[in-house]
Amino acid sequence: MVRVTFIDAGGIVREIEASEGISLMENAVAGGIDAIEAVCGGNCYCGTCRVHLTPEWYERLGGPGEYEGPVIETSGDGHPRVRLSCQLTVTEALEGLVVETPAAQS
Amino acid sequence: MNAEPAKCPYGHGQKLGRDDRKSARLAEANITPQPGSRVVGDFAIGREVLRSAKVRQAGAHADDTDLSRPDEVSFFFLDGDLHRKRRAAVAGLFAPKTIVTRHHAVMHRTMDELVARLQEGKPLPLDELSFQMAVDVTAEIVGLTDSDSNRNLARRIKSVLDSSLDRKPGRIGNMIFAAKMLLRVGRFYRKDLVPAIAARRKEPRDDVISFMVGENYSRKGMIMECLSYGGAGMMTTREFIVMAAWHLFDNPDLRTRYLTGGEADQSAILEEILRLEPVASMLHRRAVEPQPGVMEEGEVLCVSIREANVDEAITGPCPFELDPDRAKRMKVAGPYMSFGDGPHRCPGAQVALHETRIFLDRMLRLPGIRLVSEPKIIWNSMIQGYELRGALVACDPACPSWYA
Ligand code: HEM
Ligand code: FES
Repeated sequence: MVRVTFIDAGGIVREIEASEGISLMENAVAGGIDAIEAVCGGNCYCGTCRVHLTPEWYERLGGPGEYEGPVIETSGDGHPRVRLSCQLTVTEALEGLVVETPAAQS
Repeated sequence: MNAEPAKCPYGHGQKLGRDDRKSARLAEANITPQPGSRVVGDFAIGREVLRSAKVRQAGAHADDTDLSRPDEVSFFFLDGDLHRKRRAAVAGLFAPKTIVTRHHAVMHRTMDELVARLQEGKPLPLDELSFQMAVDVTAEIVGLTDSDSNRNLARRIKSVLDSSLDRKPGRIGNMIFAAKMLLRVGRFYRKDLVPAIAARRKEPRDDVISFMVGENYSRKGMIMECLSYGGAGMMTTREFIVMAAWHLFDNPDLRTRYLTGGEADQSAILEEILRLEPVASMLHRRAVEPQPGVMEEGEVLCVSIREANVDEAITGPCPFELDPDRAKRMKVAGPYMSFGDGPHRCPGAQVALHETRIFLDRMLRLPGIRLVSEPKIIWNSMIQGYELRGALVACDPACPSWYA
């Protein structure tokens, strides 16, 4: 299990124990993180599973992939370090990850 | 109309699991997977098949499609990189933000029109009203906005898309069908597509036709793409709106919850109805490489949406019961597999849910709104799905509204 912390727009902090091998989005939904809507079920299409990363984590995980970038762009989220949580697979390298969730996903 | 109650596998005390589905018996009696295909009803395996990079589209004319000219082929039938690029190019048209900032206005404008027609007091065919909504919204996305009127556009599209229903078998039947289609498609091309293309050549907009004009699509390619959107976005949503309305008219508690709940609750109700009454029944894929434990090379798989949507491993107990809290409780995406999955998953899913939600919300708040006659449910073997015809709705402004 991998410890991941979600901080919502109101500053409420929730920690989950994420399973490796599945996406951060699926872990968040299973862990009851309501700020992750994920209406397309993890198909890199809806952009409603966005998370905001700290500069350090963004550097470690890298920017959005080829298909992820345009989805983030059309979401209108102007944060400089956005990723789609459905495109991040949980591995032990994510231990201690802290992400913020936007005030609204759609 | 409901089928015999199914026995709740979890035995829930004395209570047997209800079967709230209206289309299940008809589907069970008529559904015909592609000959030679293997049916997959398990949700997890079906999802793995649809998400796999080792499969290609099959069924629904995919096998007869000439892929050597991709600019003449709807992106339905493409796979791999080219498919993703085409989808990415129009993704913004379906983004949640676009739905709210742009498409909601179209949805409400259509509802203003439909409400005014209903307020004249005469009973109106529900599937015609729902079709008008589906046409207006999809037309905005595609860019079919330069026709003489939106009702005429709907009429012409209907005459093309519904023509398979009056198709007679045999050689003469085929010839008559081909001649009729040529005429109807020609009319749609001249009256709807040509003016739309001309307007976008002058000034491109943000829609599918502008994209096709920019990419120099052939005439045939443009017609194919528009009709594919018609089939995908208009026919499906027409049926879904009628089906959801039927459930809500039939079930006063559900209707009260719908009209007093917020948007999220309304969507949860609609998604649960769609889980039980999927408009698309199955999806076919051909395995081009083996995937151990899932598929063998060359095999055609038929992912049964109907079976996957009631797979207890993902629905929990009483899978045939309409329970809007189910998806949240099970922590899964509400429509289950009704919009497909993987790279071809329906881009219009959220559009369809929003237009259905707005249509029903506004219609059900009308004073004295009632279902004058229930729909007849029939099976369309060409698209392997149900169709609901003959439902009439009417409102009586003198009556109080269920909810203001
Ligand atoms: C209740 C309404 C709808 C249902 C049940 C539905 C269902 C589906 C399903 C199951 C697929 C997957 C096909 C496959 O995997 O082969 C699909 C694809 C598609 N849908 Fe929808 N759909 C609906 C509404 C819409 C709307 C409103 C639009 C457009 C405005 C739309 C446009 C499309 C397109 C373009 C595809 C092809 C995507 C691709 O192949 O990549 N659909 N739809
Ligand atoms: S869940 Fe839809 S883009 Fe991530």
